[in-house]
Amino acid sequence: MEPEEGEETGSERATVTMRRSSDPGWLLQTRGLAAGYGDEAAFEDVSLEVFGREIVSLIGPNGAGKTTLLRCLAGILPPREGSVEKAPGLRVSYLPQKLALDRLLPVTVAEFLSLRLGHSLFRCDWKGGEQAESLEELGVLNLLDRRLGELSGGELQRVLVASALAKRPQLLLLDEPATGVDLLGAAAFDALLHRLRDRDGLGILLVSHDLHLVHHISDWIYFLNRRILASGPPKEVLREERLAAAYQRFPHPG
Amino acid sequence: MILDFLSYDFLRRSLSAAALAGPVCGFLGVFLTARGMAFFSDALAHTAITGVALGLLGQEAVELWLGLKIPLGISSGLLVLWCLAAAWVMDSLFASARWRPDTVMAFCFTGSVAFGVLILGKLGRYGFLEQTLFGDINANSWGDVALLGAVAGGAAVVIRMRLREFLLIVLDEDLAAADGIPVRRLNRVLVLLVAAVVAVALKLLGALLVSALLVVPAAAARLIAPNLRLLLVFAAAGGFLSSVGGVILSFNLDLATGPTIVLAQLAFLLVALGLQPLFRRGRTAQSRGSSLPTDSQSS
Repeated sequence: MEPEEGEETGSERATVTMRRSSDPGWLLQTRGLAAGYGDEAAFEDVSLEVFGREIVSLIGPNGAGKTTLLRCLAGILPPREGSVEKAPGLRVSYLPQKLALDRLLPVTVAEFLSLRLGHSLFRCDWKGGEQAESLEELGVLNLLDRRLGELSGGELQRVLVASALAKRPQLLLLDEPATGVDLLGAAAFDALLHRLRDRDGLGILLVSHDLHLVHHISDWIYFLNRRILASGPPKEVLREERLAAAYQRFPHPG
Repeated sequence: MILDFLSYDFLRRSLSAAALAGPVCGFLGVFLTARGMAFFSDALAHTAITGVALGLLGQEAVELWLGLKIPLGISSGLLVLWCLAAAWVMDSLFASARWRPDTVMAFCFTGSVAFGVLILGKLGRYGFLEQTLFGDINANSWGDVALLGAVAGGAAVVIRMRLREFLLIVLDEDLAAADGIPVRRLNRVLVLLVAAVVAVALKLLGALLVSALLVVPAAAARLIAPNLRLLLVFAAAGGFLSSVGGVILSFNLDLATGPTIVLAQLAFLLVALGLQPLFRRGRTAQSRGSSLPTDSQSS
C-alpha cells in the first residue's frame, strides 16, 4: 500500500486524516475494544488503526491501560468487548519491556532464536542462515553461544529485538521502548525504527511515556487514558494546552 | 554374576518400572520445576490416597453385592482417572484466582488425605496406608509395569511433539501467547500429564516420595547443563540412572527400594553441585575469550 504524499497546499493534518480514513490497507484495527484484569476494565471503547509503513505511538499517564491494550492487541489478553481485526496472514511481532526470564535456566541465545522462529531446537545454525546479516547488524551474532541468564540488560534487549525482527513481521508491537532506548542508545533506536518503517515497510505501534521520543518519531499518536482522548499527528496531539487538558480531566492519582 | 539378580521376576518388574518412570519423570520435571510446580506434583500424589481408598471401597462393595473380584489392573486405571480429575480441579481453582496456588494445593491435599484415611480406617485397611505413602515397588505386577510404560511413553511423546511450544511457555508465557501458542491449553495438558505420571509412578515411591522423581533430576541437571538441549538430556539420563541404580542398590544392600531411589537422586544432585564450579569456570573463561560488541558498535 502506497501512502499518498501530502499535497503542497493542504495542511499536513488534513492529508494524514484523509489517508487514514480512506486507505483500506490497515494492518490492524479495533472497534469498541475493552479488556482488563479481574472485574475492572483497564480500558474501554478503544477504536484505532495501524497502517503499513507508519509509526503509531500510544501515550498516556501511568495506569492509563497502555500496556494492557498492547497485550490485548498482541493476543495475550482476550478482549472483553469489541474486536481486534488483523489483515489476513499478517505476521505480528510483540516486543515486551523485558522477559519474565528465569535467569538460572540454561538457554542459549541460539536456542532462544530457534524456539521463537519455530525451528527445531536441535537445528541452531544461525551463523550461516539468511538471518545472519540482521543478527550481525544488532550485534547478536557473537552472543549466540551464550546463555540468556548471563547477558547484560543491553545484550538481552538486543536479542529480544533480533528475535522479534527475525520473524520478518509486518506489524511490530513495542512496549515502552524507553528502556531499550537507554540500552541501545537513543539515536540507534530511532534509526532502527525509521529503517524498519522506510526500508521494510513495517507498521509499528509503540507504547511510550517518553513524549520527546514520541514527538519526533511518530506519524500518528493516540492519547489513551482508559479511553482514547485524542488522536492525530504529533504536532496536533502534543500541543501543550491539549495535553494539560487531557491530563487534568483524568488526573492521575500520585 | 553381577546380573544374577535378573533371575528374580520381582526384580525384573521393579527394574522395568524404574527404567520407564525414571527418564520420563526427569524429562517432565524440567517443565514442572521451571514453572514453579514442584509442590504441585507432591500435592497431587497425596490426593491419590483418596483415590486408593475409594478404589478399595469400590472393590469391596462390588465383591459384597455382586460377588465379583475386580482385577487389580482396573483399580490402577481408576487411580489414574482420579489423579487426572484432582489435577483438573486444582488447575481450575488456580485459574479462578480466588486463592493463591499454594493455598489451593494445601487444602486440596490435606482434605484428600483426611478423607482417604477415614475411608481406609472404616474398611479396617490401614495397612494400605503404609504402602500408599511409601510405595512398594516389589508389589508391581507386569500389568502395572505395562500401564506405567503406556502412560510414561504417551507423556513423553506428547511433550516431544509440542516441545518448542512447551519450552517457549517455560521461557516467557506472554511471548509464547503473542507467538500464537495456546498457552492456557498447553499448561493444562502439562498438568494432566504430570497427574497421570504421578498416578502410575505411585507404586514405585509412594505418595510421600514420588515428587522427588520429578523434581530432583531436573534440579541437578540445571546445575551443570550448558544449554536447554542438554538440560533435557541430563534430566532424563539422571532420572534413569538414579532410579535403576537405586533399585539395584536396594537389592544388594537389602534396603527399602523407594527411599534408596530418592537418596540415589539426591546423591546425583550433590555430585552436580560439586561439579558446578568446574562448569562455571569453563564458561566464564570462554566468554572472556570471545570479543563482545559494545553497545555503540551495535548500531
